[in-house]
Amino acid sequence: MPTVPPGSIFVTDWHRSPESREYFNKILYKKKRRKFGLLEAPVMPPNLKADTVRYKVFISGKSGVGKTALAARLTGLEIPNVHYETTGMETSVVFWPVKLRESGRVLFFHFQLWDCGENVMCRFDHMLPSCEEQADAILLLFSFTDHGSFEDISNQMPRLTDPSDRVVRLVVGTKFDLFMHTDVTESEITAFQEVWGVPVFRVGGDVSSGMGEIAPLLNALAENLWHQDCAHASNSLSPPS
Amino acid sequence: MLPSETVQLLCLTASSGVPLFSRGSCKQLPFSVIGSLNGVHMFGAGQGALLSSCETERDSRVAWRVFQDSLMLIAVSGTAGASSELHLRRLLENAWNCMVLVLGQDELANVRNVERLKRELRSCYRLIDRLLERGGKDQGFMGDLTHCADCLLPSQPGILQETLDSFTRAADSEFGCLLVRGRLALATDKWWRLAPQEVVLLSALVNSLSGTTSCDYPVFLPQGSPTVAHRLLCFQLLPGVVACVLCGPSPSLQRAESELVGRFWSPVVEALRVCLEQAERSTLPPSVRLRWDVEALLIINRESRRAVAVCPHARGHTPSEVPPLSSPAHRWELLRAFYTFAVTRYFTSEEPVALPTSPPSATAERLHEEFSLGFTHLPVQCYLVTDDCKCYGLQTPQHQLFLLTDLSVPTFALRTVATHTLNAISTPTGF
Repeated sequence: MPTVPPGSIFVTDWHRSPESREYFNKILYKKKRRKFGLLEAPVMPPNLKADTVRYKVFISGKSGVGKTALAARLTGLEIPNVHYETTGMETSVVFWPVKLRESGRVLFFHFQLWDCGENVMCRFDHMLPSCEEQADAILLLFSFTDHGSFEDISNQMPRLTDPSDRVVRLVVGTKFDLFMHTDVTESEITAFQEVWGVPVFRVGGDVSSGMGEIAPLLNALAENLWHQDCAHASNSLSPPS
Repeated sequence: MLPSETVQLLCLTASSGVPLFSRGSCKQLPFSVIGSLNGVHMFGAGQGALLSSCETERDSRVAWRVFQDSLMLIAVSGTAGASSELHLRRLLENAWNCMVLVLGQDELANVRNVERLKRELRSCYRLIDRLLERGGKDQGFMGDLTHCADCLLPSQPGILQETLDSFTRAADSEFGCLLVRGRLALATDKWWRLAPQEVVLLSALVNSLSGTTSCDYPVFLPQGSPTVAHRLLCFQLLPGVVACVLCGPSPSLQRAESELVGRFWSPVVEALRVCLEQAERSTLPPSVRLRWDVEALLIINRESRRAVAVCPHARGHTPSEVPPLSSPAHRWELLRAFYTFAVTRYFTSEEPVALPTSPPSATAERLHEEFSLGFTHLPVQCYLVTDDCKCYGLQTPQHQLFLLTDLSVPTFALRTVATHTLNAISTPTGF
């Protein structure tokens, strides 16, 4: 499914608008991102009702590209400064409020990010099926400092762009801050985007408490998932031709 | 050899002495030193002697141990003399257990390809580094040293215990536990029957994953199942409250989370919150009142191998002239030191026998045991007066208590204070 241009369904940069503050305050605690246990969710006062929609997002990529670090970045947790291999499967939860452009309705997206170490995935075969089972979206990660990881994704793309399945796929380049060591050129990224019609997101560097760094990726993810669901709903409603 | 206060852990193949990894301490030991450390152990073995530890002229300490005739672990401590021999020996054993937990014993015992093993061992670094940094030492986790599970005693365990039992059964398992702020608050009967080191290790693994909402980790149990992996599923119910089950191929993480977690735990969320609030104040229920002059204590149930460590935040009902308490980190350090002092000199029966799987060290332990048996009596109490505090150790058939008190407690009254404290904890809680 082709990706939707940013801002076509949701209000762009809503996290900057003052009216969103009450919603974003629910995902903050003492100016940092609030941690949610499984039995918790942001609770809005009755006059500001917001429905929650849940999606499973699988973070995929070569060992060491920064899957765990991306999950930590999106959930607002401390990004580990030493790289340790993830020796199992981990999930973490992100709540993200958005406002629909047309109806003005506010939704809380509940992303469950699935992260699994590449090596442990090879040693135990229940891991990959478990991550892919009922996944609504896949984030394909490569590292700007590792050309091989970028080639892997380019090679996987023909297999992945099957229009029949209902999975949103976004490509994320990590370690963009290490531009001194960058191994993937800007022209390669442009070419990739043109060929596959998939935007490439760039992450890396320090995270301040602001939402600016993560908002483009989370909004794109939410917008594409919402678009996919709407398209599917209208398809299944229309009479068979 | 090393800067003070640091410990370095080396791993080599036992037969050929090829270095596999080195963790801890900012500056790695030169290769020649590593080679010599291995060589001196090998020389001893050639002469029919087992070298297990030594101390250098500058208070640095080295401990060796070979596991499964396959891998050799060497721990080297810095010059401050801060690391006791007990600490280093436990470190070697814990590090080995970490490696088995992640990779399984087969992988470690039959080294076919050294380069591959080197790569695979990287997956153990997270746990091993936590051990070396003594992660959580400021919160008073002592399981790495005591090999008893760090516990907390919830005031109303009834309903939560029932929930945990039925949740565990629903997840096709008999092994379940609830960790609150990193300490075991509840566990199923079967969980308590795991080897104490395994209980400590599993808690450490869960605590190293503080940020994740849920996880599915393959784990080998160093004693119970060293060659077949189980799955450890963890669910962060509230930040700081984690329910864990150890299970087989089913249920999948997704199914357990979507179908079981809410169904079993949502009805008791208030009880969980109460438990969490209590844990922020103390590891003991509010019904237990300690004397104001208690600075820190460790109580161990010798049968169940459970331990509760307490370090009061503030003194209750103090006479006004008493100086404030020193920092918790300092008191935890003193408590560890006193524990080591007491169990290595007096309560030696608590010293666990080495794993049956490693014959050379078993010999060493046996020699050590024979030496202890030479004593005609077994001390049941001991005390120590220092510049910082007074310490008292007490051993009954069921419990051990290690108590740190204020200097104002008269030395002759220490025994009474200790006995009183033991009763004040064990009677109302049934610990």
